Amino acid sequence: MKLQVLSCNHHSSQMALRERLAFSTQDQLSRAYDILRRSFPASESVVISTCNRIELYTAQEDADAGPNRDELARFFSDFHQVPLGEFVDDLFSRSGPEAVRHLFEVTSSIDSMVLGEPQIVNQVKEAYRVARAHDACGPLTSMLFQRAIEVSKRVRSETRLAEGRVSIASVAVGEFGKSIFDRFDNKTVLVIGAGEMAEETLRYLKDEGVGQIVVVNRTTDRAEALARAWGGVARPWSELTRWLAAADVIVSTTGADRTVVDAATFRVAREQSGIKPVFILDLGVPRDFDPAVGEIDDSIFLYCIDDLERTCEENRAKRNRELEKAQGIIDEATERFMQEVYYRATGPVVKRLRDEWHEIRQHEVDQLLARLPHLTADDRASIERTIERIINKLLHPPLEVLKHEAREGPPHGLLDALKRLFHLRD
Amino acid sequence: MLNVTVFCFLASYLCALGVEWRRLYHRTPWNRALVLLFGAAGLVAHTIYLGNRAAQTNLPPLLSSTHDWMLVLAWMVVLVYLFLALFDRTLAIGLFLLPMVLGLVGAAYFVSRDPNAVVAAEAENMARVAGRVWTMLHATLLVFGIAAVMFGFVLSLMYLVQHHRLKRKHGRHDLTLPNLERLARLNEWAVLLSVPLLTLGMLSGVGLGWQMGEGSVTVSFNDPVVIGSGVAWLILMAFFVWFSQTSRRRTSGKQVAWLTLAAFGFLLVTILGLQVLSGRLGESWHA
Repeated sequence: MKLQVLSCNHHSSQMALRERLAFSTQDQLSRAYDILRRSFPASESVVISTCNRIELYTAQEDADAGPNRDELARFFSDFHQVPLGEFVDDLFSRSGPEAVRHLFEVTSSIDSMVLGEPQIVNQVKEAYRVARAHDACGPLTSMLFQRAIEVSKRVRSETRLAEGRVSIASVAVGEFGKSIFDRFDNKTVLVIGAGEMAEETLRYLKDEGVGQIVVVNRTTDRAEALARAWGGVARPWSELTRWLAAADVIVSTTGADRTVVDAATFRVAREQSGIKPVFILDLGVPRDFDPAVGEIDDSIFLYCIDDLERTCEENRAKRNRELEKAQGIIDEATERFMQEVYYRATGPVVKRLRDEWHEIRQHEVDQLLARLPHLTADDRASIERTIERIINKLLHPPLEVLKHEAREGPPHGLLDALKRLFHLRD
Repeated sequence: MLNVTVFCFLASYLCALGVEWRRLYHRTPWNRALVLLFGAAGLVAHTIYLGNRAAQTNLPPLLSSTHDWMLVLAWMVVLVYLFLALFDRTLAIGLFLLPMVLGLVGAAYFVSRDPNAVVAAEAENMARVAGRVWTMLHATLLVFGIAAVMFGFVLSLMYLVQHHRLKRKHGRHDLTLPNLERLARLNEWAVLLSVPLLTLGMLSGVGLGWQMGEGSVTVSFNDPVVIGSGVAWLILMAFFVWFSQTSRRRTSGKQVAWLTLAAFGFLLVTILGLQVLSGRLGESWHA
């Protein structure tokens, strides 16, 4: 049995190279599987291609058959028309238990750029689905990928690796916004400024089904462009105080070099709005809102970029603390998987041994019963059962030893011994 | 009849609370399963105990003794807790509801287990069906009213904890609570339900006293439990008047939560405290 992976990922290579080696369309994947099948007919294969990794897993029963690292690298080179010398040093390969462990780590999001991110498991599932659709999978890769998905589920449920958000916008909306508001479809969002962070935050708010979006910016063109992109309306800067009062969520990213909203201005807005909860995300550096705004009343929840970054950092640290536990689960799962694979390799010999012994049993039983015609049907059945039990009991110890040996690796020595001892034919 | 004691379900709920605390630091499916297991085991023992009591006294637990109706109240809270815990795997509701349950079960331990004198007298005279209806109405309305008060108290406490976290700008971390908007809405419902239920409960108590006036048991409105409950009800009404004007007064959610917590806390301590002390404060037909 041979199992290996050739990978080009965010640890080993630059984005520019990954873009050149990616299998980004279904058509590319179809062609890739077609070429792999023709080039390495004895081998099973699965391609995982995401923005952070391009990985090719191959497996075959015969350890001497199938492609080696260089052949797989050449496949990448030929397929993408990228000279081998430009990327061969950025590839890394793993085989056997290390390849299994690598896939388990990838699927459990331990190897991801953002530790614990949830998308990778779906990407692996999709890669496996596509490989199956192209008949590229076989028993080994199916077993491997199904197990990887199970391990990822286990890591997710038994550790807190995926808990807590780790990007500014997701922390803002997911950890704070959703702790204040039950629903967003009846809320008004005011965006002050038209910075990049505003767009990212609006994406999360839009996912929550936010109602009205109002963009106020000193430059009308940019406000209108942003409002158009997110289905909102642009309003002139002169209406700022009015919209400060009307808004439930305020996202500010002006990039101004001084405070845009001071406590006095906001107090005026609060006089108009009443005491309803307002969630303010001050994403400007330096800050757009005077910190005193957050102290005006109990229903103002003001967060600056440092507050959000602190939570991101805490969540990242918490995920890191879970790494050891996740690693333990993966080590255990890898070991168990390899034992199953090694034991699986003993299958043909075990089957031959069983078949031969049962053949002998059947032959002897038939002879014995032919000599004893006076026996009743019950007696005959009883004799057959007894001899069957004897055979099974005799087979049990060697098969158990085989199973035990398979924990450490393929039990080639023992298999050879069994073949010689019992004259098992290949 | 299975021999179940108060200690059986008290210990189960205590274990469930312990595991809930542990879940703050080690959230695993095993811990959640343990919480549900201890909670469910407690509820089963609790139900059997109430069934046994009903069989012993030949009365529904709600009407029997102070001990029994307190346990009925705790049983209702556990039922709600298990329902919520089953459907929301992250919600830390047990940390708030289980101490209330333990408090109720603990308080039930110190109150009378003898059937109430009024109810016992009715039981002897089956012809007084009207009295039985009034008693049932009185007990049911009060138990549901107190349950609403308890939930209002817990919701306000949760609101304050959540508000404190948000103002301190701490991420969600381990204690998962509902958002402020939902807590405020549920709290409003708890207040709106508790006031009519307790008011009608008090009025049905007056009706019961009037009904019993001609019976063998003397029902006096000078009873310390009646007077104490009346004072608590007046405070509840004052709170309700204030509560209904919060939107006009520019009151923040936090202020509402604090006052609900204070008013409902006072109400619970008064009502349950009077039950525990009744009999020791003088003659009471509630004992």
